Amino acid sequence: MKQAIVLAAGEGQRLRPFTVTRSKAMLSIADKPILQFVVESLAQNGIHDVILVVGYRKEQVYDYLGSGERFGIDITYVTQETQLGTAHALLQVKDMTEDEFLVLSGDNLIKAHTIAEFVKVEPEAVLVKRVSDPERYGVVNIEGGEVKDIVEKPKEAVSNLVNTGIYAFTKDVFKFAESVLDIPDVLNNMIAEGYNIKAMETAGTWLDVVYPWDIISLNEAVLQNIDVSLGGTIESGASIKGKVMVGEGTVVRAGSCIYGPVVIGSGCDIGPNVCVMPATSIGDNVVISPFTEIKNSVIGNDVAIGAGCIISDSVIDKGCVFKGRFTAIGGHSEVRVNGESPSVNVGAMMGEDCVVESNVTAQPGVIVGNYCQIQISRVINGRLPDGSLVY
Amino acid sequence: MCGIVGYIGEKKAQPILLNCLSKLEYRGYDSCGIAVLDDDIKVYKDIVRVKSLTRTLPAVDGTAGIGHTRWATHGEPSKVNAHPQSDCAGRIAVVHNGVINNFRELREKLTEEDHILVSQTDTEVIPHLIEKYYNGDFEEAVGLALKDIDGSYTMIALMAGEPRLIAARKDSPLIIGIGDRENFIASDVPALLDYTSRVIYLEDGDIAVVTADAVKIKENGAAITREEHKVLWNVEDAQKGGYEHFMLKEIHEQPKVIRDTLAEYISAAEPAADLTGVEGGSLDDLVILACGTSYHAGLIGKYIIERLVDVPVRVELADEFNYSGQASARNKAIVITQSGETTDALKAIRKLKEAGSQVIAITNAVGSTASRIADRTVYTRAGPEISVAATKTFMAQLIALYWLALPYSKVDISRLDELVLEIRQLPVKVQKVLDNEAAIADCARYLAGFDNIFFIGKGINYPVALEGALKLKEISYIHAEGYAAGELKHGPFALLGSGTPVVAIVAQDNTCEPMVTSIKEIKARKSPVLAVVSEENENMEGLADSVITVPQIDPLFSPVVNSVALQLLAYYVARERGCPIDFPRNLAKSVTVE
Repeated sequence: MKQAIVLAAGEGQRLRPFTVTRSKAMLSIADKPILQFVVESLAQNGIHDVILVVGYRKEQVYDYLGSGERFGIDITYVTQETQLGTAHALLQVKDMTEDEFLVLSGDNLIKAHTIAEFVKVEPEAVLVKRVSDPERYGVVNIEGGEVKDIVEKPKEAVSNLVNTGIYAFTKDVFKFAESVLDIPDVLNNMIAEGYNIKAMETAGTWLDVVYPWDIISLNEAVLQNIDVSLGGTIESGASIKGKVMVGEGTVVRAGSCIYGPVVIGSGCDIGPNVCVMPATSIGDNVVISPFTEIKNSVIGNDVAIGAGCIISDSVIDKGCVFKGRFTAIGGHSEVRVNGESPSVNVGAMMGEDCVVESNVTAQPGVIVGNYCQIQISRVINGRLPDGSLVY
Repeated sequence: MCGIVGYIGEKKAQPILLNCLSKLEYRGYDSCGIAVLDDDIKVYKDIVRVKSLTRTLPAVDGTAGIGHTRWATHGEPSKVNAHPQSDCAGRIAVVHNGVINNFRELREKLTEEDHILVSQTDTEVIPHLIEKYYNGDFEEAVGLALKDIDGSYTMIALMAGEPRLIAARKDSPLIIGIGDRENFIASDVPALLDYTSRVIYLEDGDIAVVTADAVKIKENGAAITREEHKVLWNVEDAQKGGYEHFMLKEIHEQPKVIRDTLAEYISAAEPAADLTGVEGGSLDDLVILACGTSYHAGLIGKYIIERLVDVPVRVELADEFNYSGQASARNKAIVITQSGETTDALKAIRKLKEAGSQVIAITNAVGSTASRIADRTVYTRAGPEISVAATKTFMAQLIALYWLALPYSKVDISRLDELVLEIRQLPVKVQKVLDNEAAIADCARYLAGFDNIFFIGKGINYPVALEGALKLKEISYIHAEGYAAGELKHGPFALLGSGTPVVAIVAQDNTCEPMVTSIKEIKARKSPVLAVVSEENENMEGLADSVITVPQIDPLFSPVVNSVALQLLAYYVARERGCPIDFPRNLAKSVTVE
């Protein structure tokens, strides 16, 4: 297989507020967009010809991936103007493909080993994965190595093998893509027409973000495998343990403790006397002032965290400013997202460019929209829409 | 202002030369051509863009050659005036970037000596002079020919039977790219990024003899070793990566440019440059010199420094300063030049240095002439800018000016903390303007229907109005004028009416109220008003006809977000009008002629 079509046009509405200004594929996990994991996996498996179908907030993809040079691939961009479905997205590249090609979702996190065997498979084929909660996905019914059918989000799953959204196709697929909107329906129709669709199982990494808090668990999972590298300046008196990555131009000041796995971006100013505890990712150009502790959290670019804050089990998007003594600690909560109320253990999830005055406490599970302003000494909970002012 | 390239090695020269030239089209593109050394010299040139030339050329096997893309100065764009230019026998070919002042007398003299010159270019005298002096030694002949020339003559010469390139630099940049059993020559770094990151910058007066395995440089006849630099830019920077135009890509790069520039300045152990001058001293007479968009950055710098440091600052156009400006040893000067090669800016630096002034250069090009002749250099980290209309380099210049001023600011410590926090937030604020692109594009569609547009601003946003008008006129060809809001009533009011819209930049500072008054006055003359306002300003409804909101920000930094909004506005107006955005007519980047 020499060519891959990566579908990265979708928004991911359930992930709001984090997908208001970027697509789901551009969500950052361990300081890298999910899409970067996908294209790097392709490059490492020798696939350099990549057609990227973009749509929602496509500029963010252009800005980050560019022509693909930096990631060892050659990208051709195709725009899907309205995001009607995955089959419709695939149809956009009808006239550009080789005879055989891979199709992948740009918003599922994979590693090179996930597709190492699959890139050699003969089309048509689908990559499946064994999961503990198949009801969340398309469950694949397999007999003798071949797909019988795919059922989306069944009440009762017939197996725990689910569709990863990674396929090997020939150009035949386009004949079936016009009548339906999503690829699983395409497969079902192909099977009905007598096509044999192989199912190959992978034991490799395949992670999906459905809800905002999934970012925290994915981040933790991915951080386990980072390489140690210390750029920037680590002042004497700072303590670094475990797997820690620190970017260029970052200063970690005296008395600070960084206990890996932790990723810190470039141009940051950390400390003095700051604790960054395991399973934390911190973006570029982030300032963290003295006596702050951050644990099991994801902090975006350009965030400024004042003195004396405690942030655990939380996601803080880019550009947020905390004046000081902000507290967000994970705890049991029921969060309503699109009518569903799963029970989770999570701290605060805060959209971009929020300003939080001093002594604010976030109750577990609060979802703060983008561009919110929270006045001094408030307690925030529930769900705050974009642009909220909390007096 | 032209782009020149050269290649010598083991590969076929033709595709390499054409590829290098395509990266230099921002320096001029009214005609182009190449010469390849085969058994003899084969010259192909025309009044077309590089892409069209590529399609029409027969394949040639030679492994050495030169190329040129032209921005006409002497002689209109035509096939005969395109470079390379040749001698009578067609054995010598020359590509040249510069202006030869004494070319008329040289031409007359050569004609008297029975040389036949066919073009109107000044360049053509060079191959004929080389032919005249050639006595079995190519290098010597080039040296003698250049001695006759008064003017700027950055050039590369190629001769039949001579497997080497001879290059010379005078007043325009020239770079040698070092490869593996091959070497390259080009006017600018982007041309070489596909092949090598090892470069040598030639200096004025240098003559280099370049073969596949060696580069020998002489300065005034004496052999000299020039330092090899490693270029940090990568190929990615010179590609569009999904965007339709370089300009839009570069506008979108600005959050990253700000982040990179800040990271570099913040992590540096020492301040980037000492505003008080290299040897310390007081700061009481500061002058900023620049041209074009950089001049607008300089004007904003005046407001930044005056407000923060509380000293008076003079800003002048470099070219005007060169003819009638006052330089003194007391001056501390900041000269801003994106390319570091702009002739007017370099002259200004030399004039200041002669007067004994301390000069800080702000430039985007490591190793450029400006950085070598100034006392100190503050580098902006914008990466190569391909679009002729400057956007991200302007932004990086603003960041450099903020950064220069902050350590000397006379504001109290909590205000300083606020400003440092705010400057670190700029990438997010700029991204927020970019996220609002669709609304700005809507306003642009409306403006595209007019032929005259005014831009007004007040205080620190007055230069933003100038820059907004410049961006619009250079890429959309709409006549646009930037005015200080208070000046509008001293004349331009006569031009207002329903056919002349006004773009008003309203900041949330002490200029807000008088700006509102100005808008009311304009509305009374029936001009449509497009207001660029901070999101916290809620008084614009019912006053302006349409509004572009930008993120709330400290007024000192308002030029950052306002400029980005106006860049997008200019881009979408030009797109609506179907203009060739990255290559506006008659314009070239980094003007190395007067």
